[in-house]
Amino acid sequence: MTRETETGHNLWRMLAPLTIWALHFLACYVAAAILCAKYPQIADLSPLRHLIFLVTFLAVAGVAYIGFSTLRIWRYSLDGDLDYDHDTPEERHRFLAHVTLMLCALSVIGILYVAIPAAIIGSCR
Amino acid sequence: MKMGGVCKIAVVCLFGFGLQGCSGERSALDPAGKEAEELAKLFWIMLSGAGIVWLFVLLATFAAVRFPSSTFAGIRPGLFIFISGVIFPTICLGGLLVHSLRLLPGARDAKADMIVKVSGEQWWWRVSYMSPGGEDVVSANEIRIPSDATVEFELTSPDIIHSFWIPVLGGKMDMIPGRTNHLRLHPEKAGVYRGVCAEYCGTSHALMGFPVVVQTQAEFDAWLKLEKSDAVPPGSPAAINGERLFMSTGCRACHTVRGTEARGQIGPDLTHFGGRKTVGAGILANTSANVEKWLRDTGKVKPAVRMPEFNMLHSGETRDLAAYLTGLK
Ligand code: HEC
Ligand SMILES: [Cu+2]
Repeated sequence: MTRETETGHNLWRMLAPLTIWALHFLACYVAAAILCAKYPQIADLSPLRHLIFLVTFLAVAGVAYIGFSTLRIWRYSLDGDLDYDHDTPEERHRFLAHVTLMLCALSVIGILYVAIPAAIIGSCR
Repeated sequence: MKMGGVCKIAVVCLFGFGLQGCSGERSALDPAGKEAEELAKLFWIMLSGAGIVWLFVLLATFAAVRFPSSTFAGIRPGLFIFISGVIFPTICLGGLLVHSLRLLPGARDAKADMIVKVSGEQWWWRVSYMSPGGEDVVSANEIRIPSDATVEFELTSPDIIHSFWIPVLGGKMDMIPGRTNHLRLHPEKAGVYRGVCAEYCGTSHALMGFPVVVQTQAEFDAWLKLEKSDAVPPGSPAAINGERLFMSTGCRACHTVRGTEARGQIGPDLTHFGGRKTVGAGILANTSANVEKWLRDTGKVKPAVRMPEFNMLHSGETRDLAAYLTGLK
């Protein structure tokens, strides 16, 4: 397998986990806010909870997919050392992959933390 | 010897004064209700957790300075940082998040035994109880609730934001114009406690408190029945003259005394003022002298108060007014 180390790492890959986190956050909060404002007498998120769980699952799956494919790139770019201080395409890839992996981990934590209230409280109060 | 004395003073200064705030009628760490108990527990859990982390960091720093670096050859720095800097805090914070979410009011589905509506005014509290008969029983500046009942407070405000807080019973809840917020408290120990406004609301924010009387269900029922009734007619000649003054000097434009022609809505309901513990929203003990002081120096007792000073009345008149008001048991 050959790989074009000279071409740029797609920055979107790095930003995607954060974007998914942001969209997930928006979807959950906006949906809950609308439901609670329109139907205050329900005072209960149950109809939405399943939707929130589904969206959460999809979001985590999306980030995990990015994470694992990044892991492949990262492994690929290992050449015996873990440095990424040098100005070579190879180390640039490793650096970006490293950052992406960290952001994936952060985003998964963020997404789960956003969903926890829906799981535990499940009410508009 | 000398050192010992200095140390003792230092200890008293640091802890004596510090801890004085930690017990008594208004301390969140001396709980008298379910919610406050849980909050206090959470506080101690977090404090000890933070203490352990703090000790660990101190010891690690000490070890790093004290011992040669070869001592730590077995530890992989990257892994060490990852575990103690990423995994540990994530799990800890996650656990705390789950635990504190469970404590949120409304998370429990306990049914409320009674409802009390409280409105935050500038700078006092309008209170009304939903009586079993259905109609509201209006009162002010004091809250009475039965122990061992779940009480739901419906909190609001006509103009600016206040926050309703009874530290010994539970957390606080904002009173927001145009909104009704719900707060559930479950007192367990009878006693007289103190509530405060916990959101800065203006000049006399700090002078906006209220006593909270937690009593047995029977005592509470008797009190509510009394509170619901009209005011008792004045007994002594002084009090009779006081009532006359109350109606003629303008008090009735702002205050209600049920059973009389005073039906003002601007100030606190005074129907059973004499049965309350304080004057001026929890700031003075309810004595004739303090009522007189309130009427004469209203603006000094409470800056920016929304009640005019009646210092044009002469002392005999304020005394009679005080006799009338304190007689309204
Ligand atoms: C312009 C309206 C107004 C008038 C007139 C007025 N009051 Fe008041 N009064 C208030 C307001 C508002 C408060 C609450 C002040 C606070 O605590 O911030 C108050 C509070 C009080 C309190 C304390 C109540 C409590 O529960 O602590 C007493 C007692 C009182 N007024 C008596 C009188 C008497 C007696 C008169 C007539 C001489 C009078 N008021 C005239 C508006 C008025
Ligand atoms: Cu305030």
